[in-house]
Amino acid sequence: MHEARTESVRSRRTLVVALIVAVAAITATFAATASGTSTAKTISVAIVANGQMQDIASLTPALFTAKTGIKVKYTILDEGKLRQVTTRDVGSGGKAFDAVMIGPYEAPQFGAAGLLQDLTSMAKADKAYTYNDLIPAVRNALSANGKLYASPFYGESSFLMYRKDILAKNGVKLGLHPTWQQVAAAARKINTSSMAGICLRGKPGWGDLGAAFTTVLNTFGGTWWSAKSNGQPDKAQVDQPAFKQALGFYAKLVQDAGEKDAANSSFNECLTQYQANKVAMWYDATVAAGTLEAADSPVKGKNGYAFAPVYKTKSSGWLWSWALAIPRSSPDPTDAWTYIAWATGPQYIKAAGTHTKGGWAAIPPGTRFSTYRIPQYKAAAKAFAATTLAAMKAAPITNPGTSKRPGLPGVQYVGIPQFQDVGNRCTQLFSAVIAGSMDDTKAISQCQQIAAQAVK
Amino acid sequence: MLPALLYVVAITQLPFLVSIYYSLTNLKDKTQSLIPEPTKFVGFDNYKQIFSDSFFRQAMWTSVKMTVLAVVLSLIIGTVFAILLDRKFLGQGLVRTLLITPFLLMPVVAALIWKQQMFSSLFGVLNKVLTFVGFSSVAFISDHPLASIVTVLVWQWTPFMMLIMLAGLQSQPTDILEAANVDGASSVGVFRQLTLPHLRPYLELGALLGSIYIVQAFDAIDVMTGGGPGSTNVPYYVYQESIGGGFRYGSASAYAIVVVVFSIIIATFALRVLSSLFKDEERA
Repeated sequence: MHEARTESVRSRRTLVVALIVAVAAITATFAATASGTSTAKTISVAIVANGQMQDIASLTPALFTAKTGIKVKYTILDEGKLRQVTTRDVGSGGKAFDAVMIGPYEAPQFGAAGLLQDLTSMAKADKAYTYNDLIPAVRNALSANGKLYASPFYGESSFLMYRKDILAKNGVKLGLHPTWQQVAAAARKINTSSMAGICLRGKPGWGDLGAAFTTVLNTFGGTWWSAKSNGQPDKAQVDQPAFKQALGFYAKLVQDAGEKDAANSSFNECLTQYQANKVAMWYDATVAAGTLEAADSPVKGKNGYAFAPVYKTKSSGWLWSWALAIPRSSPDPTDAWTYIAWATGPQYIKAAGTHTKGGWAAIPPGTRFSTYRIPQYKAAAKAFAATTLAAMKAAPITNPGTSKRPGLPGVQYVGIPQFQDVGNRCTQLFSAVIAGSMDDTKAISQCQQIAAQAVK
Repeated sequence: MLPALLYVVAITQLPFLVSIYYSLTNLKDKTQSLIPEPTKFVGFDNYKQIFSDSFFRQAMWTSVKMTVLAVVLSLIIGTVFAILLDRKFLGQGLVRTLLITPFLLMPVVAALIWKQQMFSSLFGVLNKVLTFVGFSSVAFISDHPLASIVTVLVWQWTPFMMLIMLAGLQSQPTDILEAANVDGASSVGVFRQLTLPHLRPYLELGALLGSIYIVQAFDAIDVMTGGGPGSTNVPYYVYQESIGGGFRYGSASAYAIVVVVFSIIIATFALRVLSSLFKDEERA
């Protein structure tokens, strides 16, 4: 009896020791991995793999770290991946990033949910940053309840870029405000086997194909969801005639006169093809114009610019900005702001003009009035600067289509959290329609199911 | 022993229990609601939804097609390579190393190589060859997502199958083969009647181990197509539902648990084959 008890005491003691060892082992693992990130004066930043961001990443050591002593560790990802990573990190209170690049879809939503630092007071207090210099349309799009949650790195609308020489050779004329029917006819007319008529995004992702397509959908009179009077999403509208008409128009145009391997092409792929003389027109972000007219661009000076094509609405261009925000869980918000104030401040814009290969035309545009007063920029961006500013001003952010939209304002997206997933999954289907491996009736009925399920 | 066991339990079984709990709630990411919502207990709703979800069925079907195609093709090609390697020739070591190389590459790298250097319609070798020969170029990945992914999987897994089959071939007793030779059997006859029956357990082992790994294929899909009809398999679907964009952790947990149950069933079969293989060894 007595022996049995000591036996059980001993085994209990072994169990306790074992538990302590196990817990210690786990905490040691975490401690070991965590200590790597807590080195002083290094901040981690996640950004999109577009040209202007690649530029700032390569200029940071010389222009920022040398002056402030703050090292910046960049994680450069394509748009879709960046969204997954930032949403995950911001939502779970992870400490992977001190600053993340997001846009007008995310900033007000995450901000309202209390997941981002309010930048307003820091931005207003910082003299060099000059808060009032920010273009109001962009600033408002990145704010919620009057609080600024992300500082714009560049701002953009969407418009049509085309090769003046190719259009002239084919006797095609486009006005400053074309309709989609005119653009489609032009694209089909100038399309050849070596040079496609138009580049339109076909890569899955709400911010890729989803953005370009939704502006077409809006102006065709369609919508993803109808809205209740309180702004909540009501019913999925994907199976409505206007949606089907818009998708049919878009897919047919890409199949008839679009770029090669359209289902894999988005902003960067279209940019490559346009600069390589593989496409004659391109409907995409206005920021692309800076790269097309850059000092080192092979198509410099050959391009014309027109407002986003329309059908049933007056204007259809989107409004977007890649902007830097500080997650609530950032380990080092003070240094993060120092970095953001530099990266999105007027000084960097000027520095980019002299330090990058692209020169003045390729600086981050569309965020500040002062940019449009720089004499060198005015000269280099003569072809597109005025159209860009006018397009951003005309972006129908509060009333993008022919009916009321649910959620927060937005043109090329629906300002509700469910849109990210619905947009991503539906554009996978639409991309398959563009590739010709799925018919549009099937894609529409499956997408309707996804959209309906999401707001149930 | 006990600390090790507790450690294993703590890092594998506790998360599983937590997942089971999550699968009974409507837990979602904080970014997925404008106003913070409390997480509710929803009972078996998530599980009920699985069986009415046509996209999950589609993903299951894709998983089956992808796994069966990749396993069968890599087994066939692997066996052929093994037979070719199972003899002495000049440079055998070099050839064997080259043939094994694809298996040593990281799956992400393999997928990237195929996507950019082979399949791409702008820079891809395949399309360069096609246009050189006079055909028009093909958008392999967008037009044939499943076939493209299976190609990469087969490329990666053929060496694995080859190694298993090579071990099988080399364990074949040579006296029987010599006897068959003396009796004047044709080489096709020897292969069909002696070698193939001998290889059967190795084929089974290769097929089962291959299935266990390939059914979890993720890297190739993420890199090459990022999902979509024809290429979203079950693991990718669960990823999309959870941290890959859906951020619905509750229902994603339910999907994951259903997947675990299926995996355990397949693994049980695999282990049975393995143990019968060892029993045969002992008997022999």
